[in-house]
Amino acid sequence: MKRLLAAKAILWLIVGGALTVAAMRFIRGLGATTALTDLTPWGFWIGFDVMGGVALAAGGFVCAATVYIFHLERYHAIVRPAVLTAFLGYSAVVVGLLLDLGLPWNIWHMVVYWNPHSPLFEVGTCVELYLTVLALEFAPVLFEAARHPLLAKAYGILKKATIPLVVVGIMLSTLHQSSLGSLILIMPHRLHELWYTPILPILFFVSAVGLGLMMVTTESLVSSWLYEQEPEMDLLQGLAKVATYVLGAYTVIKVGDVLVRGQGAAIFAGTRESWLWIAEVLVSAVIPTVLLSMPAIRKSRPWLTATVFTGVAGFVMNRIDVGGFAQVGPTGTHYTPSWMEVWMSLGVVAAAALVYFFIAERFHLFHAGPIDRERHRYRLPTFDPATLVAHPDPYAGGFPRYTLMGVVGAGIAVALLPGSVFANLRGAPQPVTPAGYSDRIVIDGTRTSKAAVLFDHKKHIEREGGDASCARCHHLVFAGERATGCARCHRDMYQPTDTFDHRLHEARLGAGKGCATCHADDQLKDEAHATPCLDCHKRMVPANAAIQPQHPPLLGKAPGYVPVLHKVCIGCHEQRAKDARLNKPKLGECASCHGGKVQPFDPTRPDDRQVL
Amino acid sequence: MKAILTDVTKCIGCEKCVAACAAENKLPAATSPQRWTLDDGLSADRFCSVLRRDGGYVRKQCRHCEEPACVSACPVGALKKTPEGPVAYDGSKCLGCRYCMMACPFGIPRYAWASPVPYVRKCTMCYANRIQEGRQPACTEACPEKATIFGERDALLEEAHKRLLADPSKYRQEIWGEADAGGTSVLYVSPIPLDFLTVGGHQQARALPQLTAPAMAAVPPVFVGMGAVMGSLYWLIGRRKKVAAEEGPQSNHGGSKEKKP
Repeated sequence: MKRLLAAKAILWLIVGGALTVAAMRFIRGLGATTALTDLTPWGFWIGFDVMGGVALAAGGFVCAATVYIFHLERYHAIVRPAVLTAFLGYSAVVVGLLLDLGLPWNIWHMVVYWNPHSPLFEVGTCVELYLTVLALEFAPVLFEAARHPLLAKAYGILKKATIPLVVVGIMLSTLHQSSLGSLILIMPHRLHELWYTPILPILFFVSAVGLGLMMVTTESLVSSWLYEQEPEMDLLQGLAKVATYVLGAYTVIKVGDVLVRGQGAAIFAGTRESWLWIAEVLVSAVIPTVLLSMPAIRKSRPWLTATVFTGVAGFVMNRIDVGGFAQVGPTGTHYTPSWMEVWMSLGVVAAAALVYFFIAERFHLFHAGPIDRERHRYRLPTFDPATLVAHPDPYAGGFPRYTLMGVVGAGIAVALLPGSVFANLRGAPQPVTPAGYSDRIVIDGTRTSKAAVLFDHKKHIEREGGDASCARCHHLVFAGERATGCARCHRDMYQPTDTFDHRLHEARLGAGKGCATCHADDQLKDEAHATPCLDCHKRMVPANAAIQPQHPPLLGKAPGYVPVLHKVCIGCHEQRAKDARLNKPKLGECASCHGGKVQPFDPTRPDDRQVL
Repeated sequence: MKAILTDVTKCIGCEKCVAACAAENKLPAATSPQRWTLDDGLSADRFCSVLRRDGGYVRKQCRHCEEPACVSACPVGALKKTPEGPVAYDGSKCLGCRYCMMACPFGIPRYAWASPVPYVRKCTMCYANRIQEGRQPACTEACPEKATIFGERDALLEEAHKRLLADPSKYRQEIWGEADAGGTSVLYVSPIPLDFLTVGGHQQARALPQLTAPAMAAVPPVFVGMGAVMGSLYWLIGRRKKVAAEEGPQSNHGGSKEKKP
C-alpha cells in the first residue's frame, strides 16, 4: 500500500496547485496565466492535453476492437481498465479544452452552430459523441452490482448494446484520431515541412492504434505495480506482438512520406528541426519496433515496461512536435509555456488518475465475467442504524492526509503566482528615470539608449530669458524648489500618475481634526468636494507660467511623461521652424532631436499629435 | 464584391487611416505594448497599422480573403464571408478556440488576452456600420492621398493592372491579393515585395481551405466504411468460431479447413 499512498499523495498535491491556477485562469484571463501570444495562440494545453490526451486514450477503442470485434476473449480482463482510461482521458481532454477556450461557457455552441468545413467541428463533435459512447460502454461496470431494479434494467440494456456501442466507438475514434491531424492541414505556413504532409490524418490514425496497444500495456504494468500484483504477462506479450506490426507500418509510412515528398534532404540538414525529427522517429517508432520484435524483451517485465514507456513518450512527443515544437521555426515564435500551463496540465492528468484509483478500488475493474450480485457489493461505506455500527470505506482512511496534500499544493501554487497575475494587466507601468540637473540633460525616454534626446538646458535658459524664464516650462514648483523636474509628477512613461499624497497631508495636518482643512463636515469626503490644491498651495504655480496644470485649481492627475514632453517641446519647435533664420537644425523634424532614430509609429504608444 | 486597393507608392505614412479606424470601431486609447502583442502594430485594440519597410509605407489590415481560412476553420461559424466581400465576426457565437488565429496565413485575428471574457478582434471592413449602409470603410475615407481606395473588386483589379502598365518601373509587376491565398478582397500594388505581410514570409499559392477539403470529404465514407468493416468482421469471425466450436470436439482439422477457402 505504501506505493499507492505515496502516489496518491503526490497526485493530490498536484491537483491542489492546479485548482489554484485554474481559479486564476478564470478570474484574470489567459493573458495572466499562460505564455500564449497573438503569434502563438495555441500552446501547451492544446499540444499536450488535447493532442496528447486523445492519443493516449486510444487504448480504449483498440482494446474494445480486440476483444469484441476480433473475438479474442482472453483479453477480456483488460477491456474495462482500457475503456475507463479512455473515458478519463477524454474527460481530461474536455477539461483541458474548457481551460483553453476563451469563452468556455459557450462550448454548447458546437452542438448548435455547425460548420462542417471545420476539422475542429469534427474533432468537437467526435469528442462529444465518443465520450457518450465511452460512458455507456463503461456504465455496466458501475451498475452490475446494483440491486435497484431500475439500475439492473439499465445494466441489462447496456450489456445487450455492447457490440453496437463498440462498433460506433471504433467508427468515432477513427474519425477523431485522424481529424486531429486534419486540424493542422490548414496551416502549412506554421508547420515545418518534415511534419506537414497531406497524409497527417492517416499518420495520426495509425500511430493512435500503435499507441493504444502500448498504452494498455503500460496501464496494466503500472496498476499491477501500484497494487502490488503480478501483471498478466501472456496477454501483454500478445499485445506487444501486434504493436510491433503496427509500429513497423507506422515507421514505413512516416519515413516513406518524407521521402516521397522529396524532403529526404531535410532529415539530415542538421537544423534543430531535423534533429528533433530524427529523435522523434527513433523514440516513437524505430526503437519500440525493434525492441518489441524480440521475444526475449516481450517476455521480460522490466524490459517491456521500459520499451512501452519509450514508445508512449515518443508518440506524446510526436503530438507535441506537431502541435508546438515543429511550429517554432516557421513562425519564429518565442513561446515557452508558463509554469502555470504545465502545472495545470499535470493537474488534469493527476485528477484523472485519482478518479481511476477511486473506481478501481470500489468497483470490479479488473474482472471479466458477470458477477454474483448478492456476494459482490460496492465497497462503499455502510452504516447500520440499528446497531450504530459504521463500516467505513476501506480506502477512505487517507482522506485527511490527502486533503492536507491538496491544501499544501494550493499553497505552493499561490506562493509561486507571479506579480503580473495580481497587477493591473492593461499597460504595465514604466517608471520614468529622472533626467537629473545639469547644463545638458540626456532625456533617455525609452531607457534603451537608442532614442535618447540631448537637451541643452543652458541654451534654453539663455534663449527663453534667463532665470525668469523657468516658469515657461516648469509649470509647478514643489515647496523649497526653484523649478521642479518633469519626472517628479509625470512619473510613468504613458500612464497618468496621481501626485496627491493623502498620507503626507494627514501627517502634516493631523488625522481627525485636520480632515476639516480640506473636507467640510457636511459634505462628501471625496476628491470633488475637497478644498482645491491651489487654495492652499498658492505659490505652486508660478505667476508667469506659460503652461497651466490641466484642471486648476484642482491639480488632478499628471499625464504620462511622453505625451507631456511632446506637448511642451513640439509646440515651440514648430513655431520656430516657421522662421527660416531659426530653423537651422530643422527644428520641426522629430529626427533633429531624436538622433535620426525616431521609432516608427507605434499605435500602442500614442502621443497627442497622432490622434485626430 | 467590394474590395480595397492599397498603393504602397502613394502612401505617405500619415496614419489617418489608423486613427479613423480606431475612432470608427470605438477602440480604446492605446497603451504600451503587452507581452502578447506582435511588433506589427496590430492588436486587440488596433485593426490596422502602417509598417515602415525599405523606405515605403505598407498598411496592414485584414485581407478579407475570397476563400478565407478563418471562416473555414471556425467550428461554430462565428466568422463569415459576407456576399459584399468583408469577412465579418459574430462574437455571440464565438467559443474562443482561436483556431482562426492559427489558420490565418496573414496572422490577422488578434485576441483580447488581458480580458477574462476575451473575444477575437480584427478588421471587418466596417461591415456592420458602413458597408451595409452603402458607405465606404473609415480607413479609405480618411486617406488624404487616395493611397487606399474602396470599390468593386473587378474595377479595382482593372485599375491596378492599369497602374502596373502605366508605370512599370515604379511597381513590381504583380498584384498582391489577385491570386495568392485564393485571392483576397484587399489588394496591394507595391514597389517592394510584400511577403512580410504573411506568417512565415511565404505567399500561399492557393486557398488554404482547399488543403483540408479532401480530408473533410473523406469523413462520411470513412465513417460508414469503418462501421461496415467492423460489423462484418465481427460477424465473420464470430461465425467461424461458432463453426469451429461445433466441429471442435471431434478434431481441430475442421477449424483449419474452414479457414482455407
